[in-house]
Amino acid sequence: MILDSDSSKPIYVQISEWIEAEILRGHFTTDQKVYSQYQLADRFNINPATAGKGLTLLVEDNILYKKRGLGMFVAEDARERIKNKRKNQTLKKLIFELVLEAEYLDVDEEELVEMIKSIKRKGEVQ
Amino acid sequence: MSLTEVSFASVVKSQFRYKVKAYLGVFVSLMILQLIAIIFSFNGVSSFGSGSDSFSVTVSRYSANMVITFTFLWAFITAILLTTRAYRYDDFSFVTNRLSGSLSTVLFLLFACAAAGISAMLSSFLLKNIIYFFFTDITLAGGLPQAAPGEFIIGTIATILYVILFSSAGYFIGTLVQLHRFFAVSVPGVIFGSLFIGDQSGLGNVIVWINEFLFSETSFFIFISKIIIFSGIFFVSSFYLLNRLEVRQ
Amino acid sequence: MSVIECKDVTKVYRNIAALKGVSFAIEENKITGVIGRNGAGKSTMLKILAGFLKETSGEVHVLSERPFNNLKVSANLIYVDDQMSLPTSLTLSDILECAGDFYRNWDKELANRLFDYFSFHPKQRHNNLSKGMKSTFNMIIGLAARCAVTIFDEPTIGMDEAVRKDFYRALLKDYIAYPRTILLSSHHLHEVEDLLEDVFIIKEGKTLLHVPLTDFKEMAIGLSGDLSIVNPLISDKEVYHLEENGIKRTYVVVENNFTEAELHEAKVKGVDVSPVSSSDLYVFLTNKTKGGIEDVFNRG
Repeated sequence: MILDSDSSKPIYVQISEWIEAEILRGHFTTDQKVYSQYQLADRFNINPATAGKGLTLLVEDNILYKKRGLGMFVAEDARERIKNKRKNQTLKKLIFELVLEAEYLDVDEEELVEMIKSIKRKGEVQ
Repeated sequence: MSLTEVSFASVVKSQFRYKVKAYLGVFVSLMILQLIAIIFSFNGVSSFGSGSDSFSVTVSRYSANMVITFTFLWAFITAILLTTRAYRYDDFSFVTNRLSGSLSTVLFLLFACAAAGISAMLSSFLLKNIIYFFFTDITLAGGLPQAAPGEFIIGTIATILYVILFSSAGYFIGTLVQLHRFFAVSVPGVIFGSLFIGDQSGLGNVIVWINEFLFSETSFFIFISKIIIFSGIFFVSSFYLLNRLEVRQ
Repeated sequence: MSVIECKDVTKVYRNIAALKGVSFAIEENKITGVIGRNGAGKSTMLKILAGFLKETSGEVHVLSERPFNNLKVSANLIYVDDQMSLPTSLTLSDILECAGDFYRNWDKELANRLFDYFSFHPKQRHNNLSKGMKSTFNMIIGLAARCAVTIFDEPTIGMDEAVRKDFYRALLKDYIAYPRTILLSSHHLHEVEDLLEDVFIIKEGKTLLHVPLTDFKEMAIGLSGDLSIVNPLISDKEVYHLEENGIKRTYVVVENNFTEAELHEAKVKGVDVSPVSSSDLYVFLTNKTKGGIEDVFNRG
């Protein structure tokens, strides 16, 4: 993954989302150690403090836990938490934008729902 | 990163090593100047001849004075050169403060002056050898080092001291010019002006006095002390003045 | 612990004030970007820290000492820029050897590896190098010296794109392996922002801002929409930038202390809410007027 410095998402959020994705993909399992801020900094060519901030974000959301002097580890129900968080935050935001754009274009609710269904039927999204 | 402790002496040492490497060109210019002076000296200082029907004698005096004069000039100019911006700024690319920078430059100058004084003295023998081997029908008289080793050593020390004196004067004048451009015009003005005006002004007397005070001293010990004091004053006041100069404005 | 502390530092050169009261503190082992327009006083400030120049007034402390004429500071701080003065008589390999003699933490192997990587020739001379090669060579000295305080003043002048990238990569990797306090000055915030922990902006000889980069990137927000809708939203905000954007439409960049709900409401009203890139924000903040160059041509 290459980070996008111009994105509306701050770099550290992109880092935390990347780790979340790694957990969802099963690359990290419960109680497994994740990358340190220095490994992340090296990998993504960013300041270690920024990487650290991304990790802290995940600790605050109880997705990771910290062991002093040892590093960050994946929390027990991390996958569930990530999914819930994304539903409540990311998905909601996207739907808001979607509805806003639909209103702007005078697409009514029925039509919008139909559009969503047709995309799901075609299997464009898995 | 851990902090490193450095002593003043170790920094001066490093600066000195750096300068010996970087200022090698100074010795090249010395060699060229001394060689030119040797070539000029082939004419001899004076010569006279006499003879009769059956024989003729030509007595020529050769002297390395020209070499020594050129060496003084070299010391003076080199010292001025080393006070210029480009050389001072080089110090500050690495570890230094102003005093360690100037002190190491002066140590380098002393080292170079010693080399210059020795080579100037030796060049008089080179001169004699060249004349002996390349000019036919010659009988060499006097002045070989093995003939009077004590005299030779004293001569060398005296030459080195004079070279140091010239370089300290150059260093001081160079420093003044670095402080203010005004001195770049006024110092040569005063020196040459005093040479031309000569006796008519007080300046002429000063030059005569300097000449007597420094160049006509008969006691070797007092002579050494005088030179050391004079060049010491020049160097130390330069240190003081340079200590406040900013670099890379 | 603050490695560098400055309080109300001024510098007057021949009656021109280059610094008019700069205050800041830099914490240990952070990479700070020193950003400012040409003539803002960046180099003057950095040269005072390096002990090259003497402040006219104010207090300067580097490693708890006054840097001017200070050996401890000189031994633990290196200042690198494209004007670095090096003897013309020495070859590049001689220069590296001398540098190694001066700096206790000098990493000879790193210097040699970078030297080879950037295809320098040991017998080359510094004054014969092109601008970009000079910058690259100076950068090698700056990195290999491993000084507790490392100052790169516009280090990438003349470097081509590929070398710039390599330089920033090398800087980051060496920093991760050997953390130290690094000041990096640049005109191009965009180029360096990912490397920075803090950003320190100088404008016209004064401190404008000194914040973590992540805060800087979130401190402003762009709103564009009808004048009648946008204006009430920003009445109590600090405006960094203002421009006309079509008929009765406006684009403003303002401080971002909106709540999530306020932004939501704005979007519903048809206002486009967009993030402001840090380099745009930097330009807006350092412009003399809120409209930038546009104001010159708008004579009312």
